Amino acid sequence: MEAKAGPTAATDGAYSVSAEETEKWMEQAMQMATRHAEMVAIDQALDWCRRRGRSPSEVFEHTVLYVTVEPCIMCAAALRLMRIPLVVYGCQNERFGGCGSVLDIASADLPSTGKPFQCTPGYRAEEAVEMLKTFYKQENPNAPKSKVRKKECHKS
Amino acid sequence: MSEKLHCRVRAPLRTDPAPSVMELRRDAKAGSPEQEPPWQALPILSEQQSGAVELVLAYAAPVLDKSQTSRLLKEVSAVHPLPAQPHLKRVRPSPDPGRPHSLEMLLCLAGPARDSRSLAELLPRPDVDTRGLGQPFLVPVPVRPPLTRSQFEEARTHWPTTFHEDRQVTRALAGCLFSAQERAAMQAHMERAVWAAQQAASKGLRAVGAVVVDPASGRVLATGHDCSSAASPLLHAAMVCIDLVARGQGCGAYNLAPHPACSFAPAVRAGSVRKLDEDEDGLPYVCTGYDLYITREPCAMCAMALVHSRVRRVFYGAPSPDGALGTRFRLHARPDLNHRFQAFRGILEAQCRQLDPDGLDAKA
Repeated sequence: MEAKAGPTAATDGAYSVSAEETEKWMEQAMQMATRHAEMVAIDQALDWCRRRGRSPSEVFEHTVLYVTVEPCIMCAAALRLMRIPLVVYGCQNERFGGCGSVLDIASADLPSTGKPFQCTPGYRAEEAVEMLKTFYKQENPNAPKSKVRKKECHKS
Repeated sequence: MSEKLHCRVRAPLRTDPAPSVMELRRDAKAGSPEQEPPWQALPILSEQQSGAVELVLAYAAPVLDKSQTSRLLKEVSAVHPLPAQPHLKRVRPSPDPGRPHSLEMLLCLAGPARDSRSLAELLPRPDVDTRGLGQPFLVPVPVRPPLTRSQFEEARTHWPTTFHEDRQVTRALAGCLFSAQERAAMQAHMERAVWAAQQAASKGLRAVGAVVVDPASGRVLATGHDCSSAASPLLHAAMVCIDLVARGQGCGAYNLAPHPACSFAPAVRAGSVRKLDEDEDGLPYVCTGYDLYITREPCAMCAMALVHSRVRRVFYGAPSPDGALGTRFRLHARPDLNHRFQAFRGILEAQCRQLDPDGLDAKA
């Protein structure tokens, strides 16, 4: 999915982000195709571990990711590498989904890519779909225009 | 209107700590006086291109009266146009020269029942006058058009097909896609990636190296190696390189200051390939039009990150056990994802095989 649709992740609730940091994360999310919400959330949680002197492997093994849209193939692989055991998500990600929609990275037999994780799909899925629909209607002002859409514009 | 925000670069990175190509060459020669073993860039084709020819059953019938062939062809094609199989030729010479008839005609695809049918059942009157046709028989035919010459050779043993050869794929499979000059440049870029992997190994990191090049100018835009550790487990070489290219464009997310062998060149507006994707009011995706050289086949995370970043081509040395550009998946060549790119394996394969595979968990 595109970077801006706004899923969230939680570790243990004791982490807050300053306005300055929010700006930093959002700038990255807007400019880079790989700064998906899950990747940003993983980096924030790693930051939290660093500050608290906690071992990431211990923290992530007991972390649940809550995300509005099914993680894409890249993020699903990243979640495996982090050994997150459970992901609760809203709607399916038909275009890039890595938990069954395009590929099932979540449960695939990939012995060198971390551990498989469990999914609880469909939580508040309708709301998540609505958010995506609104997003695609408005379009991402920072994304380059697709060639297909360009052609359509010329035609009309 | 809000002012545009700018990302702070956390620490200055050295822009070019790697030795020059010439230096690397000299080192390699000094180390091993014999000639390097040759390498071959093998294209990683899509599953459809590299798979076996898929067959479906169809009904055909012998043409007993040759003079009726063109009329029958017209009438049968009008009743059964075979819109999904335009690659199938309608008439073939009889495969057995001992038979009395010399031609056979494809009538229509067989349904799930696959039982023997009469001409009257298959060809409704009065649309088709079946005079001149013999008893229908079942025959396996290729479902899809052949994409490579070897698929074509296999397909035609079942039923004749048309073949629009993809010249580039043919040349790639024959190993003559790249000129000597291009091969020299590819080798130099991969040598740089090997150098980066060795830098990582010397610091106790996983020995995977990568280089991003603008093929329009030949300029190296980023050199990186695997930086993953218990504290940052996702810093695989390809992810590091994408971040370094983004940094060259004024963004980037990772703190790579502790890894001086990871370097980038600031972006310059150049490159005819890249311009195609540029937009009047926006920038292209991070790696649009660029090539990645990486010592080992990327894992699923890195391969999909390369799809998201719109890389143009990926060259890797040796496969990885969970690799996603050929071994376990072919993420670069999926019709259901919104970007496809070319992938080649085997560049300096012997050297790359001695380095770590991508995707293995970081050493604890």
